Amino acid sequence: MYFIDIAYAKAVAETTETIEETGLLASLGLDGRLFILQLINFAIVAIILWFLVLKPLVKKLAERQKLIDDGLNNAKKAQEQMDRSEIDYRAKILEAKKEAQTILEKTEKDAKTLSDNLKIKAKQEIENLAEQAKKNILKEKDEMMIGLKGETANLIVAALEKILSEKMTGEKDKKMIEEAVSGLGK
Amino acid sequence: MHIPTLAPETLFYLFGVIPVTNTIINAWLAIIVFLIIGILISRRASLRPGKLQNFFEFILETLFGYFDQVTGDRKKTLRFLPLVGSVFFFILLSNWLGLLPGTGSIKLGHNFLLRPANTDLNLTVAMALTAVVASHVYGLVTVGIFTHLNKFIQIWPLIKSFKHGPIAIFTAIIEVGVGIIEIISEMAKVLSLSLRLFGNIFAGEVLMTVMSSLVAFAVPTPFMLLELLVGLIQASVFAMLTLVYLSVLTAEPHGTEEH
Repeated sequence: MYFIDIAYAKAVAETTETIEETGLLASLGLDGRLFILQLINFAIVAIILWFLVLKPLVKKLAERQKLIDDGLNNAKKAQEQMDRSEIDYRAKILEAKKEAQTILEKTEKDAKTLSDNLKIKAKQEIENLAEQAKKNILKEKDEMMIGLKGETANLIVAALEKILSEKMTGEKDKKMIEEAVSGLGK
Repeated sequence: MHIPTLAPETLFYLFGVIPVTNTIINAWLAIIVFLIIGILISRRASLRPGKLQNFFEFILETLFGYFDQVTGDRKKTLRFLPLVGSVFFFILLSNWLGLLPGTGSIKLGHNFLLRPANTDLNLTVAMALTAVVASHVYGLVTVGIFTHLNKFIQIWPLIKSFKHGPIAIFTAIIEVGVGIIEIISEMAKVLSLSLRLFGNIFAGEVLMTVMSSLVAFAVPTPFMLLELLVGLIQASVFAMLTLVYLSVLTAEPHGTEEH
């Protein structure tokens, strides 16, 4: 430390002498030419740093930021579009369901109406058939009755001829037959 | 042991008249480094950054975070970046270059070839003066000539105050005094900026010289690490103060809208 103190004291002494000789500014090393040279150096550094380092980096950072922002905006738009599509899809599905329900209800109603109509028609046809059958039966019955009457009359005539062949004359016989036939008609 | 003198040593003269000191050699070294880095970055700058670009983008983004806290606005930060960024990187690199082997050991003639650039008051004053003058230029452009000058010269309010009675005159006189103090403080800015940087780096250089002279190996290492930190801190302090001056002088003065 002793040597340092000596050296420092020497330096201080030298500095003090210099101050006395050249003035404060010169002792601090301030010199007009050096100042201008250092100013130029700093200007060169500033120009190099700005145009070759900072500006390109800032530009790239800004471009990247823009890219990210655009990407985020696009993603947001896509999300919104997707949400809208989802809403549309749900609305369409709901509409389709309603439409399907309406169609089903209508179909069911139509089917019921058709069924009812068919039932009515079938019933009517059955009734018609039954009526027709009844008519046919009655007609056949009438025909049969007529036939039966004729047969019966013939049978009675034959039977009566046999029983009364001897006692009856031709006129009596005829009269009796007519009376019998007219009685049958009632 | 050679304790550095306050004034940098002149190595030779350019064209016989311009002295070239060892601090200027250090500044030129910094310029060359920046030029190489600049050429590499500007040629290879892309949206998908390489390692170098990524490293500098990381530093820049970190700086933007601090700068934004002072300016409060990224646009202002970008506006001041050419000056503040240059100040920061130049001080940082020239301080750290002073820690390279060869500084304070390689000699040219009787003087050392290299010496940290910021141990030259010419450079620190040049940067401080540039910062303060630039802050005034930015202020003039941003808030207008009259508004800017009105922060320092309060003559017109003094003339107007004569119509409003003694209290108004007294207030106007105080405002004139405040204006004069502001002018003095602007000069003090240059002094404080330049002397702080010069003092810190010069003291560091003296410390390194003394420690290296005492014990050549291992002992100076912690001090070198300390100097790395000092270099960063001083670069940050200078840059942040410049940014503060720029922000203050480009801000509208309070009560401007009332007049």
